Amino acid sequence: MSTEKYADYVQAVLKECPDADEGEIAEAFAKYENEFYIPPQDAMRSVLRRFQSGTSPATTGGSTATRQVKKVAGLSELSATDRDVEIEVAIVTHNVRDQLIRGEEKQIAFGMLEDNPWEENGQRTRWDYKDWGPHANLAAGSIVRIEGASVNEYNGKMSLNINQSARVVVLKEGVATPVASNDPIDISAIPKEGYICVVGRVLASRPDVIHRKDGSGSIDVVRGRLADDTGTIGFLSWEPFDHEVGTLLKIDGAQVKSFRDTPELNFGRTTRIEVYHDANFADLDTLNEKSLTSVSALRDGSRDVDAVVQITEIAKRTFNRDGEEKFLWSGQIADPTGRCRISLWDDLPFKETDLPVTVQIKGARVRAWQGIPDITVDNAEQMTVLEAPPWDAGMDLTNHAVEVDLAEVVAGPSRVGLKTSGMLVSVREDSGFIMRCTECRRVLRDGICSDCGPNAGAEDIRMRLVVDLDGATAAVLVNKEATLATLDLDVDAMRSKIDEIGEQGFVQHVRDQMLGRHLTVTGRSIVDEQGAMILADGCSMEVHDPQMRASELRAQWGWG
Amino acid sequence: MERARISRQPAHLLLASEFGSATLNEKGSGEYDPSFVITKLGAKVNRIVAAGLLERLEQRETSGGSSLYQGQLRDPTGLHYFSIGEYNSEMMQELAHQWSERLDDGEPLLVMMTSKTRWYQTDEGAVYTSLRPEEACVVNREVYANWLLDACEATMERMNRFASSMEVEPTLDAYARAGLPASLLAAKNHYGEVDLEPFKLNLMQALDIAEGRIEAATTPPPVMRLSDEGAVEGGDGGQDLEAFLLKAVGQRDQGDGVTLDALLKVAVSNGGFVREVAEAKLDDMLDAGTLDEPRFGWFRVGATN
Repeated sequence: MSTEKYADYVQAVLKECPDADEGEIAEAFAKYENEFYIPPQDAMRSVLRRFQSGTSPATTGGSTATRQVKKVAGLSELSATDRDVEIEVAIVTHNVRDQLIRGEEKQIAFGMLEDNPWEENGQRTRWDYKDWGPHANLAAGSIVRIEGASVNEYNGKMSLNINQSARVVVLKEGVATPVASNDPIDISAIPKEGYICVVGRVLASRPDVIHRKDGSGSIDVVRGRLADDTGTIGFLSWEPFDHEVGTLLKIDGAQVKSFRDTPELNFGRTTRIEVYHDANFADLDTLNEKSLTSVSALRDGSRDVDAVVQITEIAKRTFNRDGEEKFLWSGQIADPTGRCRISLWDDLPFKETDLPVTVQIKGARVRAWQGIPDITVDNAEQMTVLEAPPWDAGMDLTNHAVEVDLAEVVAGPSRVGLKTSGMLVSVREDSGFIMRCTECRRVLRDGICSDCGPNAGAEDIRMRLVVDLDGATAAVLVNKEATLATLDLDVDAMRSKIDEIGEQGFVQHVRDQMLGRHLTVTGRSIVDEQGAMILADGCSMEVHDPQMRASELRAQWGWG
Repeated sequence: MERARISRQPAHLLLASEFGSATLNEKGSGEYDPSFVITKLGAKVNRIVAAGLLERLEQRETSGGSSLYQGQLRDPTGLHYFSIGEYNSEMMQELAHQWSERLDDGEPLLVMMTSKTRWYQTDEGAVYTSLRPEEACVVNREVYANWLLDACEATMERMNRFASSMEVEPTLDAYARAGLPASLLAAKNHYGEVDLEPFKLNLMQALDIAEGRIEAATTPPPVMRLSDEGAVEGGDGGQDLEAFLLKAVGQRDQGDGVTLDALLKVAVSNGGFVREVAEAKLDDMLDAGTLDEPRFGWFRVGATN
């Protein structure tokens, strides 16, 4: 390594540290460059430090003065002279107009706002406002915090000026304006709640009865399914509905309600249903074919689900209900998009020994247990055994892991047999040896199970990690086998490692090896309101060659 | 937008220049609502993964008598400032202690950290950002190079998004339809025109480094003002760096001190000094008590003067 290469930098250091040795300085720059990829300009400061005399920490202290902000909860607390006001309000109306201000055409916004935005049905005071920004994030229906507004009084009427320098923080986005109800929308675009208009073909329709919970009688309803070429949706008609399967309908004013994760159309007295004519609309066969659901798309609460799946495991379970012996077949199913469970409340339409068997299922319900969808088939007639699967028959679906983007995993639903990757951003401190309750497998805290009380416990090993990618985040629990494999340890080696460096030392050891690196995990996911959790039975760190990656990026960005 | 109350904020990948130049923040009204820093490119971050050369790590005592580690992490685009205090986990504090000892021994440390983002606004309205590391480790150059590439990719994605937003009407609705995040609109309203060129240059340099082409990434040292040359301005010939900095702090201090960045800019552009040398000198002056650092990154003339 030549000294000349760093000559200019060495000179700069020498100027500050005249006693330092030139060769040593150049060596230091070379070390930063070769071992750490740090160019001399970035290493400059560190090298300087090294050749300067030792330092000792200085003490600091600080004080903060407060700004004169008038923070109020309600408009009534304000007087006509108040400036720099901070308040949270609901924006009732928001209009934009062009106005000539000092000869210059300028956009301003105005409208009405109300205080006390969080309390439902609470007392609210309403004022006019003018937004001189105008602030692009002001929108009708939203709740915002305005910082730096001033009060204006004109002819005894108070209003709020939102100045250009004011800050508007959106606390709650405005409710999207409802879709104009006579404009039909695609089935795939149907929101979770609201009134909509839709054009679709009837795929299924059957009478049903809803029993009132209080026992006061029953209501006749019709359940069914509608489709267009973007998707299908179930419906429930509270009024007589006698359109045959295959009829194309325009339905205006249907109410969307969501049951669990599944939206459903409700037809009531105000819903207008008429036969619709459109020669280009997809026919029944095409729609039927398209309406097959894949395992990855199954949602808790769906009804009238059609799917082609392979049954990979099945077992008969018997139980007693009200003194009567009952049974059901339950097992695992898969298609190329994923795996989940099945329950059949009838005799099996094939021999148990024939597994794996591919079946077409019609009109099934979907429930979910621990987030894993379970296709529930009430009647063996809903199942048709197929001779061969419609996908490559050579595919082994038993251990098939479907690659899913982390963002998709997080967006749900829970699924089995997935493979995903992301950057490891956290190794939680309770990674390592843990004790599990011998009754329920819950992790014990100080020898106590939060459900079963004190418990001797059984030893287990796990890693509790967090993996992020492009704004999606998931907790990952890695099981014993995968933990040991990833860390390249056996149980004894891990125990002696912990004896040597302590539990925290061990966690740091894991961080040293894994933090900030890309991880691929396989297993199943549980997605609920707490977020996404992956129970991993496989875990590996991706190894990339930075040179290759950099060249790829150059090519991709056209920086050859 | 409803969101689970206790959901974890994802970590984003940011190079120091993008994070350090951010001056916009956002926080919900609730006590436990997360606080975000919004960068010029519209990244809205509560947590980031940063990496680089650990350039400084010193133990300080706060006015409350507790101890605090303050440090600087350098990546090819600039510096991250971070602090590790008693609010951090025992493990993180222990790590800071070990690192500061290793650093004092002159050992170069390349580190990676998952950190919460912090911002601070002075009474005058100046905003600066810093990090509060949660978990960290020492890494080798391959891991660092891969992180650099990840960060470059993430930055490029934001740059592309930024560029595509030029054609979108600046309303939340239009942004949502175009698949652009609301934070980008907030960023554009706040920062106004943003020049993407410096970001691009940063990426080019980072790529060179990740590829091990350090020579390509090496910038010539800034032109140095030798002591026998006259001062660039002010006619105060022969003044040394220390006197220059002292004067600069004295002149610019409006009561709160002067930011490190402002000081260094003045030292380079008006004084003709080398940025790194000036930075090191500031450290010395702090240690000697000639300057005080009432808050991290803010300097004022020390009590001894």
